[in-house]
Amino acid sequence: MSDLSELEIDALAKIAGELSYYQLLQVEPDVSGGDLKKAYYSLSRSYHPDANRNLPEKAREGCHRISKVLTEAYCVLRDPRKRKAYDAQLEETGDLRIQLAEAAASHAKSESVRRTGSTPQSKQFLLKAEEDVRNGNLPSAVQNLQMALTFEPGNTGFNEMLEELRKRQQADK
Amino acid sequence: MANQAIGIDLGTSNSCVSLMRDSAAVEVLSNAFGENTTASVVAFHEDGSITVGNAAKANIIHDPAHTVSSAKRLIGRYHFSEEVRKAQAICAYEIMEGSNHGVRIKVRDEEFSLPEISAMVLREMKQIAEARINEKVTKAVITVPAYFNDNQRQATKDAGQIAGLEVLRILNEPTAAALAYGFGKGLEQKVAVYDLGGGTFDISILEIGKDIFEVLSTCGDTFLGGDDFDDRILDMLADGFVAKEGINPRNDPFAFEKLKVAAEAAKKGLSVDEEVEIRIPDVLVGEDGETRSLEHTITRSQFGELVQDLVQRTFKVCDEALQQANLTVRDLDGIILVGGPTRLPIIREAVSQYFQQEPKADVDPDEVVAMGAAIHAASLVNSDQDAFLLDVTPLDLRIGVAGGLAEPIIERNTPVPIEQSRNFSPFKDHQESVTLKVYQGDSRQAEHNELLGQFEFSGFTPGLRSKTSIEVRFEINADGIVNVIARDPVSGQQASTEITLSSGLSEAEMDDILTRDRTASVKTAANPDDDSQDDDLVIEPKDSTDTLELVADDDLDEDDAGPAIGRVALKTVAVGQPTPVMTAPGSDEDPNAAAETTDTDTGTETRDQLFDRSEDVDLSGDPEDTQQE
Repeated sequence: MSDLSELEIDALAKIAGELSYYQLLQVEPDVSGGDLKKAYYSLSRSYHPDANRNLPEKAREGCHRISKVLTEAYCVLRDPRKRKAYDAQLEETGDLRIQLAEAAASHAKSESVRRTGSTPQSKQFLLKAEEDVRNGNLPSAVQNLQMALTFEPGNTGFNEMLEELRKRQQADK
Repeated sequence: MANQAIGIDLGTSNSCVSLMRDSAAVEVLSNAFGENTTASVVAFHEDGSITVGNAAKANIIHDPAHTVSSAKRLIGRYHFSEEVRKAQAICAYEIMEGSNHGVRIKVRDEEFSLPEISAMVLREMKQIAEARINEKVTKAVITVPAYFNDNQRQATKDAGQIAGLEVLRILNEPTAAALAYGFGKGLEQKVAVYDLGGGTFDISILEIGKDIFEVLSTCGDTFLGGDDFDDRILDMLADGFVAKEGINPRNDPFAFEKLKVAAEAAKKGLSVDEEVEIRIPDVLVGEDGETRSLEHTITRSQFGELVQDLVQRTFKVCDEALQQANLTVRDLDGIILVGGPTRLPIIREAVSQYFQQEPKADVDPDEVVAMGAAIHAASLVNSDQDAFLLDVTPLDLRIGVAGGLAEPIIERNTPVPIEQSRNFSPFKDHQESVTLKVYQGDSRQAEHNELLGQFEFSGFTPGLRSKTSIEVRFEINADGIVNVIARDPVSGQQASTEITLSSGLSEAEMDDILTRDRTASVKTAANPDDDSQDDDLVIEPKDSTDTLELVADDDLDEDDAGPAIGRVALKTVAVGQPTPVMTAPGSDEDPNAAAETTDTDTGTETRDQLFDRSEDVDLSGDPEDTQQE
């Protein structure tokens, strides 16, 4: 049984939606899966409606509200793809909450951005490389991709594609 | 103690009630016959009385048209649903359409909703508990298959209320089983609960901690259960009979029920014996006035072949559940089997092979769910003990959008309670109201999902489409029950949300049911009434040295004066003496066939009406707008 005071519950219920998921779960941004779970369990023990069923209606309603946001935070942070989308959103817009469906979808979107490149030059060389692939000119494709990578060295999508092409080249030999 | 709260496993075929008293051990409360499970069957007798349980089940053979079984297969379903059509084809009782496309069962000129039928079973379980502990019981946790959708959960909750129970929680069966298995043991394990009931299959993967039970994933098939195994034997028997005699026993409701009973008994027999001989003397009277008998022998391996695809289907669902939990079979520390059919050696062997480990032997598959429900019930009324359940929603929650599509709002296997809100804009400029359709299911095509409800919302200020926004909040509470609230984010108005379609009982209908309370007229089985004993089903061992084994499973005392069906035991299954009520079938015409055709027609019409209307809501494209609060 939770031993929180009604005041504490009321206070958190009011601000639960205005905290980042990391703040709400009281974890660091680089929290591991195991520690995240521990944090979620520990807060659930305190705020789960079942743990507070003897409290007055208003406090129970508060617990319910907190629990729903806790679940949302846990759902986003435990899923690497959703967490990535959330972190990106925190950085870009500063919005503290993300739709679960939105997080899943925006990951798919960033996946395709990854592949198209983010600078004009890298985009151009990628397009050339893709054209080479269509024409079956693998050596030229590899060259163009390497150029794309000089403009955008960290792009994992480019690297994956390069590796794929090298494999194909080897297989052809 | 005033606050006794029971746990009820409301099964398709059998129900079980359990109680955890004062944090002591959990006990299963047996009925007046000493049986730990009670058939979920309601019999409506000619004199107006109603009985529930194993005696009622015995009534099926005499009076199939007035004996309602497997109501759980129909509860919370629309009349046009596949399952209802299937039931109409095989049930001897009359299934008709009620208000809101709901299902009603007509017996002896009276119509009953499914929650009322289930309430009769629940009331029986409540009374069994009260008789056992000699105290009044008003609170209960009732279990449902994890894969039940919101309509089915709501209807089950209604049933509890009609039965005079305060339903503390609608709990998922596999979660309950895991709770019973792990409660108070201080385990740290990942387990799979393989739950094959009479009519449904569920698999849940859970992580059990000291005091927290977290469901990692749950998947299921509400169209697969032990009854389907019986049906395979029944088909074999019926087809064999057609081949031999040229008469289809399926067309004779009495013969059909006898075959059903024999098939179930044979299935159970095969758990014990390698081979079972089925003998039904006088199964029916042909047009020539001659009585015909049925004899058939089935071996365990034949049975295995008959049901192999069904067993494999369960593992496809298991694959999915493991994938959703991000685990492989090697990560699991234990397998818990739930449901009568998991006693079948063929299931046990296949499960051990699939999971690469033996299932836990110390769990009673018929009682573990009720026990878990009782533990949870106790933790919900007593303040001194805690075991948290962190459960998930089994199905995607979706909203209908333009083009007949359904957009996911909350994905399946998301923990509950959870809330998500979305902003929508109307389809056209100056539109005055929108229709919101809420679905559960895994298809992008709206019509392939279960429609939970339809809302007309007009509480917003009409204007340009791009300037108009409607906020819709989707909430799934800890019971797994869905609430949807639409409001105008500007005015905050939400009063004009109106449910225009839901499969459940309306408030007025509920009030009416509670006032009339027909479920209260159920005769309690406190005194075994031997008149109802089924003398029809004679089960004899093939050779007398090899006696009655079947019921050992059910913790039954052979000498107990319970109804015969509960004590079926075999090597040989024989359904004997024609009963006085039984008449020769007039023709080969299938009485169900005509009804089925008409119902199919109306079913299609209904569907069109429901789904074919053009959608008038559009998801607003701007992600800014879809941000919560």
